[in-house]
Amino acid sequence: MKITRLIALSIVLTCLSFAAWAQGKPAPKDAVLYFVWPQNGTTIKGGFWCRFGLRNMGVTHAGDDFQNSGHHHLLIDVNEPLDPNEPIAQDKSHLHFGAGQTEARIELPPGKHTLQLVLGDAKHYPFNPPIVSDKISVRIK
Amino acid sequence: METERAMGELRDFKSGKSGKPPRETSPRRLAAIIAGDIAGYSRLMEIDEEGTHGRVKRIERSLIEPSIAEHHGRLVKTTGDGFIAIFDSPVEAVRCGIVIQQQMVGRNASLPRQHWIEYRIGINLGDVIIEAGDVYGDGVNIASRLEGIADPGQVYISGGIYEQIKHKLVCGYESLGDRKVKNITDPVSVYRVLPDPAAFRRTRKRREHILILLLSFVLLVIASGALWYVFWQPHGKLGRQASAPVSPEMPKVPSSPPPTAKQAAPLPQPSTPAAPATPQAAPQVQPVPSVAPAAKQAAPPTQAASPATPATQPTSVMREPEMKILRGGSFTMGSNDDVTEKPAHQVTIKPFAISQYPISVREWNECAAAKACAFVAIGKDDAPITNISWSDAKQFVAWLAGATRKAYRLPSEAEWEYAARAGTQTRYWWGDQFQSGMANCKNCTDIAAAEQPIKVGSFKPNPFGLYDMGGGVDQWVEDCWHKNYLGAPADGAAWGEGECPSHVIRSGSWKNDAQYVRPSNRDGYDTHVRYPTHGFRVALSP
Repeated sequence: MKITRLIALSIVLTCLSFAAWAQGKPAPKDAVLYFVWPQNGTTIKGGFWCRFGLRNMGVTHAGDDFQNSGHHHLLIDVNEPLDPNEPIAQDKSHLHFGAGQTEARIELPPGKHTLQLVLGDAKHYPFNPPIVSDKISVRIK
Repeated sequence: METERAMGELRDFKSGKSGKPPRETSPRRLAAIIAGDIAGYSRLMEIDEEGTHGRVKRIERSLIEPSIAEHHGRLVKTTGDGFIAIFDSPVEAVRCGIVIQQQMVGRNASLPRQHWIEYRIGINLGDVIIEAGDVYGDGVNIASRLEGIADPGQVYISGGIYEQIKHKLVCGYESLGDRKVKNITDPVSVYRVLPDPAAFRRTRKRREHILILLLSFVLLVIASGALWYVFWQPHGKLGRQASAPVSPEMPKVPSSPPPTAKQAAPLPQPSTPAAPATPQAAPQVQPVPSVAPAAKQAAPPTQAASPATPATQPTSVMREPEMKILRGGSFTMGSNDDVTEKPAHQVTIKPFAISQYPISVREWNECAAAKACAFVAIGKDDAPITNISWSDAKQFVAWLAGATRKAYRLPSEAEWEYAARAGTQTRYWWGDQFQSGMANCKNCTDIAAAEQPIKVGSFKPNPFGLYDMGGGVDQWVEDCWHKNYLGAPADGAAWGEGECPSHVIRSGSWKNDAQYVRPSNRDGYDTHVRYPTHGFRVALSP
């Protein structure tokens, strides 16, 4: 199963690599990315499950190049603007959910934090126009 | 007043300094024994007898004695070029040894090389007999044997000391295995203390010198080989043409001795057209030829063979990654800099080898050409391979192991950090402060982001001779991702086998800032997902 998937994936990727740089895959205009939980301004004690919501688009694995689908990225306390011509960064404040996760256990140090979701395409680039959620603030006790 | 006196006595009693009534105690006790002596003392004395003597005495007065006292030890005796001291605590003894060595580095720094006074220090734990001006027992002998095998400027400790200090003293240790020492029946396990990267670099330099010498020798051989080849090339061509009609006779010819070949060297001109040469050589095969023409015949078989071999070799012999063998040892893994790196804990690493560089595009594409890896990478051959998932990396090592019949694998996370720290305990391998130009990270170098990822080995290697251990590309290791080290194994094995949703990446990439270059930095990423900054390096079990 895994092997067939990998082969399929590799075929897709090899094809892709011959295609032009797939920066800014088109996204439907009515797509909405949002937090199911937590809401803006929530005060939370300890760790929490962060749940991602996506309307009018599908969630898939990173690497899978299906129309109108992508995977989630959670940006924690990120202030730099999103660069649509670069893959979404991968570090401790840019969490990737390339396996198609729609929720994640998040643990943050006490204090105020901002959270924002960004949808990435097969190659981790933001869509065109970028599909991003509102930036919300939470307070960790 | 009385209580004060009583307290005083109590203090005396506690500190072991016998008060007024000399107590009849057993002269035997367990002690950490430091033996130190100056490397090349007689040579120093030869250069400048009085000066050396004065300097040694000054060092003893101003450095050795105070250091020993400061670490609650006792100087037992000094010899012309050395000293023996005993300590109650192995930790203090090793600290004292490190302090002396580090101070000596500073003192030598301003002097020319031949005037350096360098101590070799051995430390052993043993039950010894202590008398007024001396100390006896095989514990002392082992200490001085350790000192004898130590390199100048180094501290060697025995297994007994190591067992006592490994969890207490934060510095690196390199196991040198069991050594047989003179006049001691059982082999002694020896460890080298690595107090700072500077000490490592010095020994490296020495190794480098030898390497450079060897390299230049090899180059010379190659150069002379090339010259020889160039010189003989025309005869080869000539010979092949000549030998074509007489090939059945060939077996006779190779027996002609090599000295004739030498004589022939100045004879034929490369510009000589082949036509006149052919009739010349051909008839001379049937009769037993005279010396000079025989040389012409002697050349073809060797010549015909030599250009052929290099041509076939690259296709049949696979290029393996350049590996560095690490001896293993104990080190403190993790740090307090990030929640994921806590708790710092002691890990013992078995000997293993790790690739000097991250796997390159060229190496990856050999696997792809063998249809064992999922995709053909584009990009410069000597750039590190990127956009690799953990499962991609596993495919590569499985192929490499199969093709070479060697136990290639991904390094464990502990092995990776051990290799990245290279005997250091500082934030970065070169110290606690970040230095620009040491690693490929965001805002760390002048290299434009567009040229990324730049080729492997573009920055200084760490003290273990490994390149790009921090910055460059993120590197997959075998371990499953755990959010911290609670419950982590201490034996250096990979933590978590088989299926897990995410695995550990190390090193940080050119897109991460300097914080990510730290050898203890770690992160996790989805097992089957590729990302443009993720690559890997390989390890090899002995």
